[in-house]
Formats: sequence, C-alpha cells, structure tokens
Amino acid sequence: MNEREAAWPLSLRLLHWVSAGLMVPALGLGVYTVQWVHDPAARFELTQTHKGIGITILALTVVRLCRRGFVRAPEAAAAPWLRLAANAAHAALYLLLLAMPLSGWLMATTTPVRVPTIVLGLFALPYPLAPDLGLYRFARTAHVALAVAFAALILLHIVAAFGHALIWRDQTLRRMWRPSRAVGDAGEAYAAMSGAD
Amino acid sequence: MHKFVSSKSTLAAAALSLCLLARPATCAQSWRIDEANTRIAFKIDAVGFPTTQGSFAHYSGRILIDFDRPAKSFTAFTVDSRSVNVGSPSFSDFVKSAALLNVDRYPTMSFTSTQVEKVDASTAQVTGNLTMLGVSRPLTLTVNVERDPLSKGHAVAFVATGKIARSDFGMLFGIPLIDDTLEITVKTRAVSDE
Repeated sequence: MNEREAAWPLSLRLLHWVSAGLMVPALGLGVYTVQWVHDPAARFELTQTHKGIGITILALTVVRLCRRGFVRAPEAAAAPWLRLAANAAHAALYLLLLAMPLSGWLMATTTPVRVPTIVLGLFALPYPLAPDLGLYRFARTAHVALAVAFAALILLHIVAAFGHALIWRDQTLRRMWRPSRAVGDAGEAYAAMSGAD
Repeated sequence: MHKFVSSKSTLAAAALSLCLLARPATCAQSWRIDEANTRIAFKIDAVGFPTTQGSFAHYSGRILIDFDRPAKSFTAFTVDSRSVNVGSPSFSDFVKSAALLNVDRYPTMSFTSTQVEKVDASTAQVTGNLTMLGVSRPLTLTVNVERDPLSKGHAVAFVATGKIARSDFGMLFGIPLIDDTLEITVKTRAVSDE
C-alpha cells in the first residue's frame, strides 16, 4: 500500500481534470457576466449558472481532499526547492478551490438580493446566514480578490506543468494523466501509452 | 380642421370631435382597448445589476372617456401577475416567486381610478388605487393623451406613467441593492367602434 505510485490514482486524476474543466469556465463566466453582460435576463441566467458551477466545484473539492488524504503523492524527481514551491502552490490551489465557492456562497447568502442557488438542478442550496449588506460587500470583495489570485495561480500551475514537461523533462505532468502504475512499471506504462497514442 | 388632426391633438380637440361631431348627446362612453397597441410595463433600477424592464402579457381593462367633463372619465385595469415577462423564463419565474410578485397567493393586481383631472390640452392626471400583494395604495398617473389623426376621432392613444414605492406594498426584496422605486408605464390605445 505504501509503495509509491508513478501517477495519481484515476479518481484524483478525474477530479483534477473535472475541477479544472469547471474552474476555468467559472472564473471566465464570472468576469464576463459582471463586465460585459448588460441584459438583465442574461445576467440573471449566467449568474445562476455560475453559482451552480461554483457549488459543484466545492462538492468535488471536498471529495477530492478526502481522497487525497489517503494517497501518497507519486514520485517526482524534482529539485527540493521546486518541490517546496510546488507543494506551496498546490496547497494554495486547494485552499482557493474551497475559498472561491465558499466566498461565493457567503455572497449568495448575505446579499439582500437572495436568489435560490439550485445545485445540479436537484435542490436549493441552504442559505445559513441572514441578509447583511456589510457582510455581503466583504464577501464580494473577497470573492473578487480570490478570483484574481486564483487566475494568477492557475496560470503559474499551467506554466509549471509545461516547465516540467518541456524544460525539466520529468514525469510531473504525465502522472496527472497516465494510468497509475508502480514505479518499476513506469517506463513500461509510459511506453504502452505512447504506443497507444 | 388642419390643427385638429395634427399630431399634437388635444383633449379639447378630441372632446370637440366626440361631442360635437360624433356623439353630441352622450359623452361618457366606453371605449374598447386595442390590445395590439397596449403594453403594461415596469422598470426598476439596481446597484450592480442592469435596469430591469418587464411587462405583463395578460390583463383586462375598461376605459370610459368623457371629453366634455374629463372628471367623469374612468379607467380600471386588472393584470394577471403570472403573465409577467422580464426577458427569460427562469428570470420571470423568479419574479413570480414569493420573494417578489408572489403570484400563487396574489394572482392579480389592479388599478381603479377615483379621480381624473385635466392638466392641459394633452395631459391628464389620473388618481386611483393600485392593489398589489393584497395591499391597496393611492397612485397618481400622469397620462399623455393623443388622438390618432388617422382614426377620424375613433382612437385615442394614452401613455400613463407613475412611480410607486414597492415597500408600501410590502415588497421589500433586495432593498437597498434593488431600488424601492418602481416606474410603471402603461401605453394603450382606446378605440370607439361607433
């Protein structure tokens, strides 16, 4: 069980890519809606979609962190400073994956314009706090600031992933998409996958 | 006569037309509401959200006009709250919800005039009671009256505008991010079939 894997398990790889596939549109949709949508009905619809995506990300992140707790990170042949930086960046990404939707939830809960958030078309998200304009304004400022930080960190994450693949030429990027195998089988697994491509 | 059919036709001119030419004896007359030219609309501003405009597709109404004695004129409209449209189905559904129009509990809203005053040749002030969410409050509408020059005195266009404080009716949702003041505009055209 403690043997180091060459790649992340399928569940975490899936959760990573699904989160990425939701997070980037959520950020884009947030900026686009606030900056460029001036039709009230479109604004309403897009905000509802944005909230729905956000709350899905929150649920996925909770599942992901629970799963992550039971998995040792795959082998990564990187310099100690790089590993340290990567760990810090990943911790920040996880933190933001929680803080972004939570600050959005706080906005949706405390705003005087309280519109139900429907989760995956199934049920209305509970709003645990009473409307509070001061708290809403704080939550909105936090949501925007966190979004800027998140966008910057995602960019860094992508640049680093390509850096690993193209400059340092290590297995870091591959372990997020190839099938999980024991270290000894890594070369074989990679060869098999390259062949399949 | 030329003045009579100009686009800035007046209440007085309309009265002349009706009472002297068309209906010399009885001036208080019920007019048919031309649905193709009627729009019951509202507008509300908000902070951090575009100005929302909406309208009601279903309504019924009566217009009685007495051009000789404008004070004898009368109007009443009942609007089907469920027919509200703010541009998209889910946005409209939200406006119909308990937070705003609460249409399940209050399926209609109505306005009944209590007083009509002529202000000038083309303007009248119509005061009445607006009932919304089960609460009745006085509302004064400024009404622009314009006779359709092509109808030979058989059609009059009205544009009525007024403002309400929705909090007066217990609609507190979104205040202060969504304005308390709501602007109402009713454009209609009354047609006499006679």
